[in-house]
Order: sequence, then structure tokens, then C-alpha cells
Amino acid sequence: MAAVASPTAAEGVNGDGALVRLEGIRRHFPVYRGNLLRRRTGTVKAVDGISINIMPGQTYSLVGESGCGKTTTSRMLLMADEPTDGSIYFDSRPMAQFSGAERRNFRASVQAVFQDPWSSLNPRMRVDQIISEPLITHQRLSRSAVRSQVQELLQVVGLHPFHAERYPHEFSGGQRQRIAIARALSTRPKLIVLDEPVSALDVSIRAQILNLLKELQSSYELSYLLIAHNLATVRYMSHTVGVMYLGKIVEEAPPIELFTDPQHPYTKALISASLPAHPRQQREEIVLTGEVPSPLNPPGGCAFHPRCPFVMERCSTDLPVMREHQPGHATACHLYD
Amino acid sequence: MTNDVILRVEDLQTHFFTRTGVVKAVDGISFELGRGETLGIVGESGSGKSMTAWSILGMVPHPGRIVGGTIDYLGENLLEKSRGEMREIRGSGICMVMQDPLTSLNPVFTVGDQLVETLKLEYEEPKRSLRRRAAELLANVRIPAPEDRLTNFPHQMSGGMRQRVVGAISIARAPNLLIADEPTTSLDATIQLQYLRLLKDIQEQTGAAIIFITHDFGIVARMCDRVAVMYAGRIVEQSDVEDMFDHPAHPYTEALLQSVPDLDTDVDTLPSIEGQPPSLDALPAGCSFAPRCPHAWERCQEYPDEFTVAPRHTSRCWRSE
Repeated sequence: MAAVASPTAAEGVNGDGALVRLEGIRRHFPVYRGNLLRRRTGTVKAVDGISINIMPGQTYSLVGESGCGKTTTSRMLLMADEPTDGSIYFDSRPMAQFSGAERRNFRASVQAVFQDPWSSLNPRMRVDQIISEPLITHQRLSRSAVRSQVQELLQVVGLHPFHAERYPHEFSGGQRQRIAIARALSTRPKLIVLDEPVSALDVSIRAQILNLLKELQSSYELSYLLIAHNLATVRYMSHTVGVMYLGKIVEEAPPIELFTDPQHPYTKALISASLPAHPRQQREEIVLTGEVPSPLNPPGGCAFHPRCPFVMERCSTDLPVMREHQPGHATACHLYD
Repeated sequence: MTNDVILRVEDLQTHFFTRTGVVKAVDGISFELGRGETLGIVGESGSGKSMTAWSILGMVPHPGRIVGGTIDYLGENLLEKSRGEMREIRGSGICMVMQDPLTSLNPVFTVGDQLVETLKLEYEEPKRSLRRRAAELLANVRIPAPEDRLTNFPHQMSGGMRQRVVGAISIARAPNLLIADEPTTSLDATIQLQYLRLLKDIQEQTGAAIIFITHDFGIVARMCDRVAVMYAGRIVEQSDVEDMFDHPAHPYTEALLQSVPDLDTDVDTLPSIEGQPPSLDALPAGCSFAPRCPHAWERCQEYPDEFTVAPRHTSRCWRSE
């Protein structure tokens, strides 16, 4: 019986069938003062209790302004950082209990593509070395097998086999990002973290790379965790979008849902701040007062309340929890309690 | 109408003389800007859009040189001005507005000192009255309690406030033309919106014309009256903003507009432009977009003239002949 359940129904509360599940993840950084008499003076709650499910073959996007914890979240997924609290499940296995072999397998299964292909590729390595480095680390392959895989990967990302012997400086931005993608694909990952994959590229190149990523997703059943600030890009790429504010997810929904019927005031403000696609297109502009507060000293209750145009009395005292109002669309806001 | 033109650029050519050859960063561009008008110059990196701005400001970096054309500002050719005269014009007539407030204020001087420093160039008055003017400027950009803020250092202000201070400095000498060159790294959406609103605000108060140097059609749609699209050092299409979005005439503009995802519609696959932007030191003969153009034909071996496709709308493409 369980086998017929659709993926959306199975997603549910417990995240069955999710490739990666984050549960109540927190990442707090202690802040110290003084050198001789070092004392702890505070905590930066970069990520403060987020739970998300990344489904196989789907894209989960995190949006929010700088400092909201998107990148910290992705670093924990890449095992570059460890959560202070909460668990990460990969294929339903908690990461904390991984054996050595499982850890190695996990590292091969989760790869990343970063924003700036000028700094993410080592200028002193040839393209074939860049692409084969993860292959050699994770698999024992003969030299000819490595070479043929590099050739294949180059073709998969739309480059030519003869590019293997060149150096990164010989390529344009879009081509470099293709190299970075080929490198990420080399270990046959299940999940790729895409941290602003196109925002450093020329406008005429962006669509090429987005389309390539989409193609690869459907051919290899890849999951993506996409971090981007351009909402239109997010809409184009994602299956689920989580809106983050000061370390918390404040709204989560499929993109069409989220962008046509946003609920959280912060989501509404973000959408209203995005630029129009046509001069006659008018958006209702919600101008937020003030700045994003320091995560060192976040406001009590709902962290958004000092800037919220719809603030109520209880917002400064009670922390709103994520509630699902429509299937798949959850919001943490007292307006919807 | 003609009296209202404050800037007329004609056949401007800015070339870079490198060891390996001449790079034509700006290769014969012409446009006009009326008082209070907002022009968007759109292009990708290497299209020459920033070099157009630097040329107008008389700040073309070595080994670049303006080799031809005229830049007519209020009836005077800027290319005939001395360095000193240009310096004067840069402060008072034409002004660059930086988008990033963190790097464009001096961290070791108070905001008041930095404003007074600029005002001193315009008014020969005692310091006290200059400070009064400085406070007025801060009030103009909607900074609350401006007198108190004069004694603040930049780090004591929030990002949004600093942005306003930068805005205040740029309008201190009542410029006629503001040039806003956006950095390649993008700001957060809400901060960017604040910046754009600030510029509109300043424009309403001072009646200054604005040139936006950008790669983002969204900014053009939001802010501009006119738009010029640059590709490989030339303006390939130029028109009023709505006309450009409704009836793009040049294949590059058309493809570019289609390849940008839109927040309000769903598409399965974005139409993308194949190939890479050309390198300026190895431009193809003829139309530089031809190698990437779906409509290219033999005619494109020759560089297209500028054709008028509609009133106030020109395109450099043989299809418009």
C-alpha cells in the first residue's frame, strides 16, 4: 500500500522518502571578548531551528537576504560545519551515526557549485585535473577510465573533449561554470548544493546554465539545494521554496503557490522588492522600515516584528510556529493563527 | 525641445592601446539625454557600458584614450576641456553615484566633515553655515535628526543611512547629471529597492538626469525613460523604454529579454542565447552578434547601419533595413 503513495503525500510531516532531511537544525556561534580574559559575551544564532526535506530529483530553494543563514545551512549539508543541535538524515540515516564508509559515501553524494567560477577553480590546474580530482579521491580507477570519464563529463556539460588540456583562464565565465558543474557531477552525486550558480555570469549566459542544470536534474535524478536571491530564477528552478529570515524558515511552499499567494509579510516584502519584467508592470511596493536586526541580538517573539507592517501585540512576545494552511504551504506568522 | 538636451554624445570612440593591439571598447556610439530624463545603458561585461560612463566623466584609465567623437554637455564639448575644468565639472555638473555605501565613504571622517568638504567647493561661507547646509542635505534625503547625524562616523550608521549619505554628497552641488554605475555583485532586493527609490527621490528634488549603467533589464523597466543596448562597443538598439520591451527590433535585445526568467509567469525551458559574448580583441568582421544570431545571413558580413524602426527607435540590424 505504502508504495503507491505519491511523493507529495509522503513528504508530509515526517519526510518519508526525502533524500535529505534536516530536523530542527541549529548552528550557534559563540562570540568572545578580550584576549587575556577571554569571556563569552553572546551567541550568534546563524541558523536557529530549521527543518526541511529535500526530495529525490527535486530542487529545494532557500531565499532570504544576506546573513539569514542560507549559506550556513548549506555548509552543514556539505559537512563543512556541524550543527549545534538537530539532526541531518541522509537516505533516512542520521548523519551523526555515520560509519567511516558512510561518511565517505555521503561526501561523494553531496557536491557543490559556487557563485564565482573565477575563484572556485584552481588556476594552476588543468581542466582534466580539476574534474578528475574528486573522482580520484572517491574511486579507484585506472588512468584510462579516469580519462574517458572526464571526456564524457565534458560532453555532458556542453564542452568539448579537447578542452580537457586547457587551463581555467582560457575560458569565459559560462564555460567555467560548466567546468565547475562537470567537477561536481564526477562523483555521481545525489545532491548538489548550488550557491548562487548564475549571479556572477553575464545575463546572456545565465539561461544556458539554468537550462543545463535542469536537464542534468532530469537525466540523473539529481536533487538541488539552490541558494539564490533572484526570485525569478528561484521560481524557474524550484519544486519547493523556503523563505529564511534571521536563521529561521518563515514560509515554505511550492514556487507558484509562494509567488502568487505569499502569506508571510516578509515574503510579500521580498516579492514586492523584486524588479518588474516590463515597464508597465506595477508592483505594490512594501517598503520595510529599518534594517535586518543583528543575529547577535535578535528581537524576541517573531524576529520580523520590528519591521512588520502588520505587527500585533503578541508578535513581540510569542514565537510563531510553522503551520500548514494549505497542503504544502506553511507559514510562521500570527496573522494566520 | 532642443534646449532641454543636456548631454549629446556623438560618435564617441574610446580605444585601448595594448601591446597586442587596439581594443575598441567604445566604437562610435551616439545618444542624447534630456533634462530630468533617465537613460539606461544595458550591456554585458565588456560591452563598453562602463567605459562610456568613464568617457563622459573624463576618467578613461590608461592605456585607454578617447580617439574620436564629441561629448556635448550644455553646449560645450567636454573633450576640449582641460583636466582642471573636467575636475570642476565632475563635482558640480556631472556626478557619479556609487551603489555600494560601504566602500564610498571615508571611515575616519565624520559624515558632517565629508559633506562640508564637498560643500566647501561650491560655497565660500563660514564653516557654521556650511554645516547648516549639510544638515539640510541630510534632511533632503530623509535622514531623521540630521544635526545629530553630522557628528556620526559612517560605521555608526546603518547601511540604508549610509546609502542616503552617499546620495546627499552626490547632490551637494546640485548636479545636472547623475551617473549610476552598478557593481557586478548584487545587493539584496530590499536594499536595492531602497537605493532605487532614493535615486528617484533625488531626481524629483533636483531635476537631474540619470544614466544607469546596468546589465539588468529589471532596473531599466523600473527606472528608465530611454534605453540603449550595447553589444561589443556599439549601441545596437535604442528607444523609449516601453517600445523596447514591446517591440524589440534587434535580435540581441529580443533574445536577452526572453532569456530572463520572469517572476510572474511559468516556463518549462527558457529560450537561451547560444555562444559566448565576443572578446573585444577578436571581433568578427561585420555584425558582432552574427555568430550567436539565429537570423544571421550573408548580409551580416558587413556591419549594419543604424535604421529607424519607429519614432525615437533605432536598431543596427539588417533585418530592419
